[in-house]
Amino acid sequence: MPSHTDKNRYWGWALAMGPIAAWMWFAAQLPAISAGDKLKFGLNWLPSLGLQASFALDGLGLLFALLITGIGALVLIYAGYYFTPHTSHVHPTSHPPASPAGFRFYAYILLFMLCMLGVVTAGDVITLFVFWEGTSIVSFLLVAYKYKDAEARRGATKALVITGGGGVALLAGLLLLANVAGSTQLSEIMAQAAKIKASPLYPVIVGLVAMGAFTKSAQFPAHHWLPNAMSAPTPASAYLHSATMVKAGIYLMARLSPALGGTELWFGLLVGAGFITMLLGAVKGLFQQDLKAVLAYSTISQLGVLMMLIGWGTSASMKALAVGTLAHALYKGAMFLMAGIVDHSAHTRDLPDLRGLGLRQTMPRTFAITILPALSMAGLPPLFGFLGKETLLAAVAEHSVTPLGVGVVLAGALTLAQAAMLLLDTFSRPKANAKNTLHPHDPQLGFLLGPAVLGGLSLLIAFDWLLPAGPITSLVASAAKAAYGDKVKVNLALYQGINLPLMLSAVAIVVGFGIAQYRHWLRRRLAKVWLLQPVRLDAAYRAFLQLLGDGGRLATNLQSGSIRTYLAYMFLGFGLLTLWFGAWQWPRNVNLFLIEDQPLQLLRVFSVLLAVAAALASVIARRDLTAIIALGASGLGVALVIALEPSPDVALVQVIVDILTTLILVLAMGRLPAQMRDTAYKIERQETWWVRVRNFAIAGGAGLFMFMLCFNALSSRPRTSIVTPYYEQQSKPLTGAADIVGAIVVDFRGFDTMIEITVFGVAGSAIYSLLRYAAKKHGDDDDEVRELSDAAPIMTLTSRGIGGLVPSAMVQMAAKLVLPLSIVVAFVHMIYGHGRPGDGFTAGVIVAIAIGLMNLAFGHAETFRRLPWLRPGYLIGSGWLIVMIGSLLPMLWGQPFFSPFDFGVWLNLPLPYDASLSASFLFEIAICFTVIGSASWMLQTLSKF
Amino acid sequence: MDFIISLAIASLFAIGIYQLLRRNVIRSALGLVIISNAINLFLLAIGAYDGTVQSYAKAIGVRSDALPLALILTAIVISMGGFAFTLAMLYIVMRRYKTADIDAITELKN
Repeated sequence: MPSHTDKNRYWGWALAMGPIAAWMWFAAQLPAISAGDKLKFGLNWLPSLGLQASFALDGLGLLFALLITGIGALVLIYAGYYFTPHTSHVHPTSHPPASPAGFRFYAYILLFMLCMLGVVTAGDVITLFVFWEGTSIVSFLLVAYKYKDAEARRGATKALVITGGGGVALLAGLLLLANVAGSTQLSEIMAQAAKIKASPLYPVIVGLVAMGAFTKSAQFPAHHWLPNAMSAPTPASAYLHSATMVKAGIYLMARLSPALGGTELWFGLLVGAGFITMLLGAVKGLFQQDLKAVLAYSTISQLGVLMMLIGWGTSASMKALAVGTLAHALYKGAMFLMAGIVDHSAHTRDLPDLRGLGLRQTMPRTFAITILPALSMAGLPPLFGFLGKETLLAAVAEHSVTPLGVGVVLAGALTLAQAAMLLLDTFSRPKANAKNTLHPHDPQLGFLLGPAVLGGLSLLIAFDWLLPAGPITSLVASAAKAAYGDKVKVNLALYQGINLPLMLSAVAIVVGFGIAQYRHWLRRRLAKVWLLQPVRLDAAYRAFLQLLGDGGRLATNLQSGSIRTYLAYMFLGFGLLTLWFGAWQWPRNVNLFLIEDQPLQLLRVFSVLLAVAAALASVIARRDLTAIIALGASGLGVALVIALEPSPDVALVQVIVDILTTLILVLAMGRLPAQMRDTAYKIERQETWWVRVRNFAIAGGAGLFMFMLCFNALSSRPRTSIVTPYYEQQSKPLTGAADIVGAIVVDFRGFDTMIEITVFGVAGSAIYSLLRYAAKKHGDDDDEVRELSDAAPIMTLTSRGIGGLVPSAMVQMAAKLVLPLSIVVAFVHMIYGHGRPGDGFTAGVIVAIAIGLMNLAFGHAETFRRLPWLRPGYLIGSGWLIVMIGSLLPMLWGQPFFSPFDFGVWLNLPLPYDASLSASFLFEIAICFTVIGSASWMLQTLSKF
Repeated sequence: MDFIISLAIASLFAIGIYQLLRRNVIRSALGLVIISNAINLFLLAIGAYDGTVQSYAKAIGVRSDALPLALILTAIVISMGGFAFTLAMLYIVMRRYKTADIDAITELKN
């Protein structure tokens, strides 16, 4: 019976079948691709923006796709073993997490594979970018795989900040590029190369795109995230941070090279960064302690080489690029997988602790398999790595040996030394005095499959040139062609006669062996060199994070919570913007105080004056009640202006709302202890003159700004409307309503109104729940607590009005009379609202105010007892239900949602003159119900709690 | 008339802002109503037509502009609902802190 640990292995094998099938499919495309075909596939994504999710496959994409699927399959199989802890073990705790976590890993790896395939097969820059970001995110998840480890989280965040930041730059660069080229399609961008290079935006584009590619491919000075990313599980490091993802930047630059390359800028930027990266990685790798760190730096070095080759831009360099990419992926993938096996068996990756793993009793098979990729990494014949170095040297030495050539030879020598170090320091015989507490042993054969296949391929494909039409030769040729933009002659023979590259290669090998011989001495020395300390770039990264944090704190501090500060900022900002854009000029040749000869103009001036004066009185008034009444007067002034427009409907609503507002204010204020209001008043009186001046200045500034805005808007407004005539002509024929404003509200913009009454209903119920909650929580007022408790006998509260006073019988009588009257008025409003002033809203508020009067006269408990139908929640809900029914019903007759439909006509009902039973009538009723519910709830709540 | 109405709107707006800046919560609340009145007046004033008759389909003469009127109708209702809700909140805050002085209420942040 297989245990769950075995299952993990089976899953690895099973899941690898997908990538293997994909690999086979890609491999089958090779003949067609190398014959010059290009596979294309497009999907309309956002056609309105001209966006297409398109995919294209050419030589370059194929090379990467084969690496992604091939190495991906091997990594999946490998991971099955990697995540299986073995049983005979000394420190079981230090192990990678077991099976359930392993599945998380499979999910990430498969997701990554998808994203990476997307990057290399994308046919347009947007698709490319989307997948590109996907790889950054999955990389983050994988680096933080052991998320309980603080180091892993730090490494993951660093990787995400750096590559994500580069991603933002890349997006900007790609959008500019697409803009200049006039298309997002890569093929079209290639065709516009001359235009792009001539554009003034060219340096910006190159800079931004290079930022994206450099951060992704760990180029100096953004390289330092990669060593930290080594906290990912080793299969992920092998796959993402060596073989595939970090090459995405290389891929991108190679892909865009025909469009952007060939200029001084391109050459300087890429070769410069690549050269520094190459040497930096080669030197720093030499004195690392951790196996994976050595591999990470040697990867950085190789990425630098590849970047440099793209910058070089000759056909020979593109050939070297293709060969180098392939060679590096094969040997570095294998080396990483070996590091994982060593870690798994020996429980350490620190070079000083390892040694003697190649001995007979320990891991001889692992040692034997490591030899091939290590030799390939060292660049020794007859492995593919040798060809990689050979083609590289050929490209560099094409014309003459430059300082760059010397650097490349040195880097080659250092890489050889690193390979020797990795192989010898891990596996060779230990020194006599070394303590050996490890009990390593060879793993199962399946675990070794990945490195064995990759190492074997490093050897096999080096003999590709012996075949008449070698598949590797044609793959490299078509990849180089895509990057170069023209045909590239490729000859991958291992021995091509005694020439400059071969001699340089020999020099590199000799120097490399020399370095390898003295590596221990060198390591000690290099570790002390100031320039190579990892601190400085990390400090820059930390400073960046600090800056972000400080910015956040500054933003928090600006949010002082003081409305004065906010308003001051706002109006200062408005004022500055107005001045900046010079949006306002004082109008000339205008008689400012001209009052046009229109009827009732003087009355208008008077009502405006009333509104302002009353508002002013609400500022000055000593008593709060006076201020509230003044406010009500101001609102009535506004209603007068509206009535003079002339617009009786809206004026009616304004009057009604004004009354309701005043009522609510009085009720709310009445609940506050008089002493509290008194104190507030006294505090205000004691304000210093400075505070008064400041408030006055802010308010005055706001007023000035508002005046500029209004006057500009009013004096320049068009005197004919485009929209209004449509409503005027269509309201009667389409909706049957003579009242155009009403028709707009309940028919043309019915959906808005539906949302409006929802808001109104929500406001009512929110006030109710809010105050109820508060009363329950801080029920500090004795009287209210008693009032709230259900046990209190209702009779004690009957006939008590607001504040516990008993109003006169006259008021009570009036209240009793007004309510039924108000209901009649409301009903009339609704029936004839579509042809005359008045609507459902007014009707609702009228009834609600009548209920408010009842409240005033009898107190809320008695009101509820007298009006059993008054259930605000149900009223709001039923209003909503009616809207829904009224607007959905017409759909039964094939009409659209919210269409006007006259049920009266349809049912052939005998209705009184000018009345109709249309959908809008239902709507009015619904509005009325909701408003009665909500408004009476507001009144009730405020008088109750 | 444009000048006078602009002046009136601006004055209402300034008065509203001034009220809002006061320490007395009750007066602050009044500021909100005044501001929404100012804005409604503005919407009314930008109507394209200087109407002499109300905006009914059968009316003869220059009709007032129905579009801003419809907007105001909605705005009045919504601002009323919003104001009532704000008032309830202010009321609770005042009760909770036993003061109507805005500056004395400092613990609401965070």
